[in-house]
Amino acid sequence: MSEFAIETRGLVKRFGQVCALDNVNIAVRKGEFVAIMGASGSGKTTLMNILTCLDTHTEGQVFLDGQEASLLDEDGRRNFRAEKIGLLFQQFHLIPYLTALQNVMLAQHYHSVTEEDAAKKVLEDVGLGHRMDHLPSQLSGGEQQRVCIARALVNDCPILFADEPTGNLDEANEKIVLDIFQKLHANKHTIIMVTHNPDLGRYTDRVIRLQHGKVIEEVQN
Amino acid sequence: MAASKQSMGRLLVIRSLKLRMRRVVIVLAALTMGAAIITAMAGVYFDINEKMSHELRSYGANFFVGPKEDQGTLSTTDYQHIVALLPEADRVASSPYLYGLVQTDLEQVVAMGVDFGQMKKLAPFWQVLGERVGVSFDERNVMIGSKLAQRLELKVGAKINLLQGNKRHTFTIKGIVNSGGDEDNYLIVNLSFLQKWLHQSDQAHYALFSIDNNMGQVSTIAQQLKKQFPNLVSRPILKVSASEGKVLDKIKLLMGVVALVILVLSILCVNTTLTAMMSERRREFALQIALGAPRKQIMSQIMQETLLMAGISIVLGLALGYVLAQILGHTVFSASINIRLPVFVLTVLLSVSAALLAAYIPAVRAMKVDPAKVLKGE
Ligand SMILES: Nc1ncnc2c1ncn2[C@@H]1O[C@H](COP(=O)(O)OP(=O)(O)O)[C@@H](O)[C@H]1O
Ligand SMILES: [Mg+2]
Repeated sequence: MSEFAIETRGLVKRFGQVCALDNVNIAVRKGEFVAIMGASGSGKTTLMNILTCLDTHTEGQVFLDGQEASLLDEDGRRNFRAEKIGLLFQQFHLIPYLTALQNVMLAQHYHSVTEEDAAKKVLEDVGLGHRMDHLPSQLSGGEQQRVCIARALVNDCPILFADEPTGNLDEANEKIVLDIFQKLHANKHTIIMVTHNPDLGRYTDRVIRLQHGKVIEEVQN
Repeated sequence: MAASKQSMGRLLVIRSLKLRMRRVVIVLAALTMGAAIITAMAGVYFDINEKMSHELRSYGANFFVGPKEDQGTLSTTDYQHIVALLPEADRVASSPYLYGLVQTDLEQVVAMGVDFGQMKKLAPFWQVLGERVGVSFDERNVMIGSKLAQRLELKVGAKINLLQGNKRHTFTIKGIVNSGGDEDNYLIVNLSFLQKWLHQSDQAHYALFSIDNNMGQVSTIAQQLKKQFPNLVSRPILKVSASEGKVLDKIKLLMGVVALVILVLSILCVNTTLTAMMSERRREFALQIALGAPRKQIMSQIMQETLLMAGISIVLGLALGYVLAQILGHTVFSASINIRLPVFVLTVLLSVSAALLAAYIPAVRAMKVDPAKVLKGE
């Protein structure tokens, strides 16, 4: 197995004429907590989509847990998402007609089998033990995002991808989310987090800065 | 393990529908309407068809008396008793009918024995080339169905010989009958002759009556006969004239067209509603795919939702369609309608196909949703 959770070599992504990613070479070690920063439109989301197999790249190589992404078919990419990664978005994407608990169990459902006790346990871990049977519409933004975190964690996937996970949260909730991330980091999870906020960068091992689709700076903390 | 897979699947299907009750109600209403119209139209169609299958040929007659199915023939003595029972004023015409194979000098043919004296009133719709045989016991003249006459190349005035061992009986063909019904294939002879010739004296297969029904006498008569002749089947038959028969065909066509139009409208309505519903749910589907759901599973979830709605609609539609069929039956045909098995099959098949057809394009579109675009946080 590779020492890197993810690695890109000469990664290029074009949308027609727009070159969203231009010769990106990054490598994230297993257990590392990395922040990807950059102005709006610099290509952060595009990079995340490629690393999470939600999109395909135009040129270069992408290794996901040692496996080359372009060799994966639709089913292989789906398996990678279900088995290896937890996903967190800026918006709190939850199924509106399922309770917090059922939303978490949905990730188990697509991963393997639903186990209610395990799902309850992660919800308790993110401080939502008392909110399990609420629908998303009955939860605050911070609580919804914590349900999303619980869902990303429930399958014990080794890599967590978070695209501006605190972008829609107030400071108090941002702090809660970051605390959870730090606990995960302490437990050897690999975390790749996109953020606008330079303060958040300090919590991580390393900051990778993008500009116009290129890596312009890498800072080790 | 399998159970939990299933229960999460079921949860997704049922909960997602519950959340969008208003749209679900529209889909249910459209599918129910479609199913009801199919049930009603097909119900009326099959039932009227069945009721008329062996009675259409008796355009002039409106009452049938025959033996119960397992008991061979109708005795002409009974027939005479029945005739005697009928109020003179109400009885327009009647005749027993006897069928049998006879050998002619050309080939073996089916002979139909009737009371010729009654046929002008009982079968007014017969189009006759030449002349009708007008006397009940005429042993010299016969009539012949047009198809049989054509096959045997017989013209009006030609002779035809019946043979039996050494016996031979010669008839002159007085008229050729064109009725559009079964009689077109028969040699039509006088009843008492045929009974003798076939050694079936006193026997007939059934009798038809034309009874004045201007005050609804027929059903009373049917009740009365049922009591007095429990071994016989006596029932009114739908009285349909030849021209009414044509109208009936047109009504059937009209019913088919109405059913088709309603079905198409219901498909369009369901399609529109589902398209709106699925596009509202793009984020849900994108999320499910991002979480690792196979795209096929999105498709199957939508199809299951559709089938569930179709199932409920079929139950409602069959009930509503039954009521509708009765209303139609009573207003148009003055008869209640039995819903027959093919109607159920047709309703279920057409409703399910319509629902799946309506859901197919929205489902394919939902399945192809691009999570990278839809979930992107802006
Ligand atoms: N699906 C797309 N089609 C065309 N252009 C796109 C698409 N997605 C992103 N882009 C372009 O790629 C660049 C990077 O976008 P994005 O990765 O969303 O930036 P960020 O997340 O850093 O704000 C932008 O110029 C954006 O307009
Ligand atoms: Mg972005």
